[in-house]
Amino acid sequence: MKTLQSLSLATLLLAGGAWAGDHRYALSPTYAAECGSCHVAYPPALMDAAGWKVTLQQLERHFGSDASLEPQAQREIASLLQAQASTRSVHEGKGAAPRLTTTAWFQRKHRPEELHGYPLPAVPAGSKATPMAQCQACHRRAEQGDFGEGSLKPVSGRR
Amino acid sequence: MNRFRPLAIGAALAFLAGSTLAASPTSPAELQAAWLAEARQSNPALRAFSAERGRSFFSTAHGGDWSCASCHTNNPGQGGAHAVTRKLIEPLSPAANPRRFSDVAKVDKWFGRNCKDVLGRACTPEEKGDLLAYLLTVKP
Ligand code: HEC
Ligand code: HEC
Ligand code: HEC
Repeated sequence: MKTLQSLSLATLLLAGGAWAGDHRYALSPTYAAECGSCHVAYPPALMDAAGWKVTLQQLERHFGSDASLEPQAQREIASLLQAQASTRSVHEGKGAAPRLTTTAWFQRKHRPEELHGYPLPAVPAGSKATPMAQCQACHRRAEQGDFGEGSLKPVSGRR
Repeated sequence: MNRFRPLAIGAALAFLAGSTLAASPTSPAELQAAWLAEARQSNPALRAFSAERGRSFFSTAHGGDWSCASCHTNNPGQGGAHAVTRKLIEPLSPAANPRRFSDVAKVDKWFGRNCKDVLGRACTPEEKGDLLAYLLTVKP
């Protein structure tokens, strides 16, 4: 019984891409194209379903930009995000404009002492941009969904 | 009538391929012809688009924080970066980047979004035609 349960749990998680132990996330071509044009296509598995739902409900006013989608693309991405979203509470997307950079998990993994000398990415002067949302500044294969250790850019003084 | 043709072909192709990302092929010349026909409906005296008007449209802010150049830079023959996220953006000029203005759905989608973000309204066919006329003069 126990084995059966954990087996099916493992299949479920693998199928949904909800737990990528090696931090390489498979991105569907539709998602990568539509949600990866203005920024890195953020891995669906790093925020919960409720957070993604709120995000998709207000794409016309998305962090100061119009990111609205055609109905078909909207449906496709909505179901993909629901299927691949995290089910862990540490990935809860909070507030009216949920961010994965403000989840408990993200903040713990990116505490200043975990950053090993990686400088915060620069943002344009006077802008309200979120430096940590620029995953590509430190994870050089972020656009491919690869956040594994080997994807970090070399930085002087690190390891 | 010209204006509906590329759209109809695009829609048919997208339907056949059954995918939201299906290409709806076009070319800068075909887009220009469609926009000119459309612009003439409200301005019958219009003869041709103006690259000079397009250049100033591209590089001026229209009441908000951003101009088109904020992300596509003052030299659209070269790559730019998103003004907020710093994500790199490939050159907008078709001479520098042949994939530009080759897909009706993509062109419509981004004019829709970016005009709303920069001007707070949709771009007119004349503005789109002027802009493309300008981009066509920009070499890599
Ligand atoms: C038209 C440009 C554009 C498109 C298209 C777009 N976004 Fe965004 N997105 C932004 C901007 C701008 C920000 C704010 C970045 C910042 O605060 O620095 C943002 C931020 C986000 C954030 C919060 C990042 C953080 O700090 O954790 C999420 C989540 C997000 N986008 C998801 C999506 C999804 C899902 C899609 C596809 C449906 C999408 N975006 C498409 C422009 C866009
Ligand atoms: C300022 C640099 C920086 C930025 C920006 C950044 N990261 Fe990281 N990230 C790191 C470092 C450094 C580590 C490795 C921490 C360690 O090894 O202890 C890391 C680790 C990770 C990991 C692996 C965690 C683990 O358990 O090993 C993931 C996944 C990740 N980041 C995702 C993201 C995403 C998604 C973004 C953008 C929303 C992002 N990061 C932005 C520096 C950054
Ligand atoms: C906030 C950043 C930003 C601003 C401002 C901006 N754009 Fe864009 N634009 C983008 C991004 C991101 C893309 C899509 C990514 C890509 O295709 O490289 C894009 C794509 C386009 C395309 C699609 C072209 C094609 O065929 O591939 C056109 C047309 C366009 N922009 C026109 C404009 C015009 C006109 C303005 C000014 C009214 C403007 N943009 C302002 C970010 C911006």
